[in-house]
Amino acid sequence: MTSEAQQQVEEYLDRLRERLRGLHADDIREIVEELRSHILEKAASSGQVTPAGVAAALAGLGSPERLAGEYVTDSLLAQAEVSRTPWRIFDALFRWASLSVAGFLVLLGSIAGYFFGAVFALCAVLKPIHPHTAGLWLIPDPAGDLQVSLRLGFEGAPIAGRELLGWWIVPIGLVTSCLMVIVTTSFCSWCVRQYRRSHLLPRR
Amino acid sequence: MITSSQESAEKWEVQLRKGCLELAILAVLWGGTLYGLEILRRLESDSDLIVSEGTVYPLLSRLKALGLVKSEWVESDAGHPRKYYALTSAGKQRAVAMAAIWARFSSSMGKLLAPLGKEK
Repeated sequence: MTSEAQQQVEEYLDRLRERLRGLHADDIREIVEELRSHILEKAASSGQVTPAGVAAALAGLGSPERLAGEYVTDSLLAQAEVSRTPWRIFDALFRWASLSVAGFLVLLGSIAGYFFGAVFALCAVLKPIHPHTAGLWLIPDPAGDLQVSLRLGFEGAPIAGRELLGWWIVPIGLVTSCLMVIVTTSFCSWCVRQYRRSHLLPRR
Repeated sequence: MITSSQESAEKWEVQLRKGCLELAILAVLWGGTLYGLEILRRLESDSDLIVSEGTVYPLLSRLKALGLVKSEWVESDAGHPRKYYALTSAGKQRAVAMAAIWARFSSSMGKLLAPLGKEK
């Protein structure tokens, strides 16, 4: 093999190795060695390993960034698929969001779901501390329309506003919060499963 | 209009091919142990699948993580070791189950589509 061909292979594998960070060191070594073996074997199909042969073999594999993305995303999403912990799922969703619009939308949806879950829980917890101001309020705006507002109670009671649930916000807030976290986590896991089902398959 | 319907049919064909790759790899390995490039060549020669190399290796890695295939490094005359894959017993069970589903599906679709061929 010429030194130029050798350099091409190593540059490609270095870029791949760089992008595989996050996987287990043994898995990275295994992936890199398997692809090195593939590149050398394919480049040598016509006899000797030449720069042109290496270039053709590398073109067949696609860019190291995309290839690494296939390995890393699948590994992270595999963890997320079996995990029920929101931070594992977030880790996978951030990765997915960096690769596709669908992933970005699912990430936004999950952020919204967890955010509202947290606000309901906070409201329930803060009700005993701010008994007259925390809760679900119905507030008229200047145009005369009524707005529903979930307030944590740090500000004063809204003028002309009416509290809807009273102390019921504590159990209702806690139950709603738990439900939102469960529904959001299940939704994300479902999306991840759908994505993986399509993603592990080839592109033309 | 014809172009658009042809494009839709082509997209559908791509999706169909995509859906078959996992079964195709398990089927290729049914005959014995093979390394990555051999799997790719068998897929190209024995099936009508258009296979991207950058897809097959991550898929093999995933099938291994699922316990459907196992791998082993073997020294070769080529001067570099090769990673050989073989079906595990779970992989064989999966292949048989998928093949049965395929046969059932293909047969019922064949019956359904038979009149379309006669129209031609």
